[in-house]
Amino acid sequence: MSLAHMLLLTVAWPLAMAALVAGTLAWRHGRALIEQRSSGRYVVPPGIAGDWPYRWRVALWVSAPLPALGVALALPEASLTLDWWLLGGEWRLDGTRRALLGFTALLWALAGGYAHGYLGGKARRARHGDPDAERDLQAFVLLWPLTLAGNLMLIVAEDIASFYTGFAIMTFAAYGLVVNAGSREAYRGGRAYLIMAILGEGMILAGLLWAAASAETLTLTGLREGLAVAPQANAMAALLWLGFGVKAGVIGLHVWLPLAHPVAPTPASAVLSGAMIKAGLLGWWQTLPLGLTALAGLGRVVMIAGLVAAFGAALYGVTQRHPKAVLAYSSVSQMGMMTTLVGLALIAPSLWPVLAPALVLFAVHHGLNKGALFLGVGITEHPPRLPGWLLWLLLALPALSLAGALASGLIAKWVLKAGLYDAGWSWLVTLLTWAALGTSLLMARTLWCQAHAWREARRHGAAPAPLSMTLAWALCALLAAAVPWWLTLPEAPAGAVQAADLPPWGELPGLLWPVMLGAVVTAALVVACHLEPRLHTRISRAERLPPGDLWPLYVRLASSLSGPLRRGVARLSNAQETVQDLAAGCGRHAMVWLTALQRWEAWLRRWAVPLMVLLGGGLWLVLAG
Amino acid sequence: MNDNPGLLLATLAASLLVAPLIFLLPERAWLARTSINLGAALLKLGLVALMVAGVARGDSYAFGFTVVEGVSFQLRADPLGIMFAGLSSLLWLFTTLYAIGYLEGSPNRKRFFGFFSLCVASTLGIAQAGNLFTFLLFYELLTLSTYPLVVHRGTPKALAAGATYLRYTVTGGVLLLIAVVALHALAGEVNFGQREVLADLGPEYHPMLIGIFVLLMLGLGVKAALVPLHGWLPQAMVAPAPVSALLHAVAVVKAGAFGIVRVVYDVYGIALSYELGLLTGLAIAASFTILYGSLRALAQVDIKRRLAFSTVSQVSYIMLGISLFGPMGTIAGLAHLLHQGLMKVTLFFCAGNYAEELGIHRIDELDGVGRRMPGTSLAFTMGALGMIGIPPLVGFLSKWYLGMGAIQAGMPWVIAVLVASSLLNAAYFLPILYRLWFKPGPLEGVGAWPEERRLGRLETSAWLLWPALATAAFSLLAGVFAGLPFSPLSWASLIATQEYLP
Repeated sequence: MSLAHMLLLTVAWPLAMAALVAGTLAWRHGRALIEQRSSGRYVVPPGIAGDWPYRWRVALWVSAPLPALGVALALPEASLTLDWWLLGGEWRLDGTRRALLGFTALLWALAGGYAHGYLGGKARRARHGDPDAERDLQAFVLLWPLTLAGNLMLIVAEDIASFYTGFAIMTFAAYGLVVNAGSREAYRGGRAYLIMAILGEGMILAGLLWAAASAETLTLTGLREGLAVAPQANAMAALLWLGFGVKAGVIGLHVWLPLAHPVAPTPASAVLSGAMIKAGLLGWWQTLPLGLTALAGLGRVVMIAGLVAAFGAALYGVTQRHPKAVLAYSSVSQMGMMTTLVGLALIAPSLWPVLAPALVLFAVHHGLNKGALFLGVGITEHPPRLPGWLLWLLLALPALSLAGALASGLIAKWVLKAGLYDAGWSWLVTLLTWAALGTSLLMARTLWCQAHAWREARRHGAAPAPLSMTLAWALCALLAAAVPWWLTLPEAPAGAVQAADLPPWGELPGLLWPVMLGAVVTAALVVACHLEPRLHTRISRAERLPPGDLWPLYVRLASSLSGPLRRGVARLSNAQETVQDLAAGCGRHAMVWLTALQRWEAWLRRWAVPLMVLLGGGLWLVLAG
Repeated sequence: MNDNPGLLLATLAASLLVAPLIFLLPERAWLARTSINLGAALLKLGLVALMVAGVARGDSYAFGFTVVEGVSFQLRADPLGIMFAGLSSLLWLFTTLYAIGYLEGSPNRKRFFGFFSLCVASTLGIAQAGNLFTFLLFYELLTLSTYPLVVHRGTPKALAAGATYLRYTVTGGVLLLIAVVALHALAGEVNFGQREVLADLGPEYHPMLIGIFVLLMLGLGVKAALVPLHGWLPQAMVAPAPVSALLHAVAVVKAGAFGIVRVVYDVYGIALSYELGLLTGLAIAASFTILYGSLRALAQVDIKRRLAFSTVSQVSYIMLGISLFGPMGTIAGLAHLLHQGLMKVTLFFCAGNYAEELGIHRIDELDGVGRRMPGTSLAFTMGALGMIGIPPLVGFLSKWYLGMGAIQAGMPWVIAVLVASSLLNAAYFLPILYRLWFKPGPLEGVGAWPEERRLGRLETSAWLLWPALATAAFSLLAGVFAGLPFSPLSWASLIATQEYLP
């Protein structure tokens, strides 16, 4: 048992928690069944999962991501080989993985604590025999650690099979979290999520198989290096880019995000939009030949797709009414910026050493802040007993940070900007800065929606959020803002801006103007709406745009395509049945024939003696003659 | 020649002699019949395990005698055969357990278990056959011993399905016979593994060899359910669930696939098959079957019919694997022989459980069953996810090696087939899982079970529940611990190494 085995523990611990939950549920279910045996008909026993948030088990359940957090904070660089596992496991902890593992584990831990409070009401109802609450709770407590295990496994994996395993476990288990509320919208969102995810898995599988087989490798490093020299690198990389792009919200494949994120329980939305979306980015990171070779053609497509997402999602997102939908579009927009940077790395591989640390910082910063923002949505729906200024300060902190006004956001922006300027990509910096204006507007929109929800909640006297919820959310907001100072991020090359460096005063106006402009535009809009009611109605009309923009179009397209396919298959199967019937018919005819032969035989038997006499006579005549 | 025949014959006898014994017992001797059945299954599993260990050590097992001049009866245990024997013995144990629970209280159990044993004995014979003649003997015995099982219920539908089954398999058997005779006439007796015999024949015989190969494939393809020879399989799903498990996972379909493996590797030899261009044809036929089966499965509303079309599609993975020239493809095909068996037997057990406990036969009746029968539904979920190819279940390993093999053989289009098939598998399995776990059902006050019975203390009878859980666990463990020796994947790799590194 070496120190490297701690890596195994990061995944095994959440899995053990899932197994513990499953075992307990199975045990209680079985006992209830045996007790009910006498009554004949089976009834759901109440309160199987109801005590989850209340007993000591909750501490264990929430602890699922803690080994991973400990590993990310304390373990030195390590690698672990598991010969027995799948095709041969190889897990690793290096700079990038440490940063991603650390923030992922932290977000999951905080969201888990938040979930404890969030599900309190449901647990109470379950204990009093509400079957729906019971069902939702069982699914949630079981699938939460399972999804987490997948998410952690894909981060530490260095062999392709483990990576794909983690990705698949996470994707499929998260479906249960998305539809946990059990409403119509939840199932619609879940459907969009699952269908897109499966298409993504298909493309990932194709890309991985093709690239790994061509390079004859089992590890991600080998895959990247093989891809760098493969003749059909563009096609393979395109498959991988699109496949992981589903998770990362590439424009066109992003439709599930605004449908699934708003309907999931709030802690699940937080990890979906904060941590799991980064799995797509990590997928690109691990499989595309970033910094190894230039794939200019694909790179340009990636960059354009990223920019379209950065602007388009921001524009569409501000029309949304549900704060979670606004946040989901903000995720698409932010991931668009990261996509742009990935595209840049594909065009100019020499930039990668500077770009990589900046991208990690950006990803970690966005993940935690987006998590804090999602958790905040639940807080405004159930305002805790906090002074108003403190509440809104903590709500605004991640929003301002994401817009790049202060703390981690400001740093992330500065690191990126400095790196890109040095390399002569100033037009891209300008575009990204304008995209940041979109982010500011989205953040303003989010806070606006939240203020609305907060007023509603106060008017209806909503129950205050339990302590665990408030605490988890506040911690998340604070730690997110301070992320460059507590998490070890990969170091930038000497001379470049490091992740913990503050921007000099002179750079601040250049960094802050989008936020300022955003604030001014928002304020102007608010004032104008108050003064001119017609403008207000016109804006409300825009608010009718549904979340999930292109999804209905896709559904219509798919159904019009599936018709001919179905008819074609039906025709084939009819043909096959016709042949089968024909063969059976031939068989029947043959039988009729054979039966007829039998009649002939009977006739022969009856006339055997005369026939023989005749034959004998004939023979005699012939021989004698 | 006759080294270690004892173990070989004892294994065959363990199931072959059980059949008359069961026929002799009276119908009501439940305890005696059950103990004989289970004892034989355990004994056989133990003997096969011994042979697996022996073969891994390098021991050889063979038995043979001459029937007439130039035709001999040969039994032997090589890694490929012992792999199939191991699979069928393991699954036979679980299927026997399951069948005991499934048929409890129904008539004609004596007949059922008698033919059941005969069927498994012939499967073992197929696995241990040392030449095509011996193979053919057991292959035909399998056809005949399965018929009474297919028509076991005696309903008009079952009888019609049985007639279709016989029509297909007997015709296939005749074609196979013609091909074997032709091969004998051409090259004399060819023992499995004597690949040089056909390879040395010279180019003037090649058209003849191609013709015989096509005949062999047609004959074996009927049992392996290659489209368009698959028509009997979906109809045969009217048989009781343990029989479906036998048809789809343990014996019949597998015998066809195994026969094709034998012909390609041990009669023609992979090099000659490749040289004659036979592999490409097989790959195309297999790919078409994979896609066609999946597409047909999508449209089925009966659970077992959907599973049957899924078998049509999945068994062709084996053929696809062996048609990919190179060790990776071989590993894929051979490993899938085992993997598909584990997953499909689980799925059929579960389908049987739903039918027995709740009277559910159609997919739209499955709403909310996950809450009523969580163990069965968990097993079904694992089987279904494995079929889709989600790691760490075994189905993923098959897909992985198939993909590797496709590139190795220079046929990248196979990856597109694989991905399309995975997507189709997801499209017809995930809606079932969705209904099981996420849709409200009778326990939430929506609708009612078609015919609920409380068969056991737990969610259903223990005889039905535990085999399903055990095979599901095997299909998970065989994936997670694929790297350990004696896992299906390791064993398949061992065979592939022998095949390519003489």
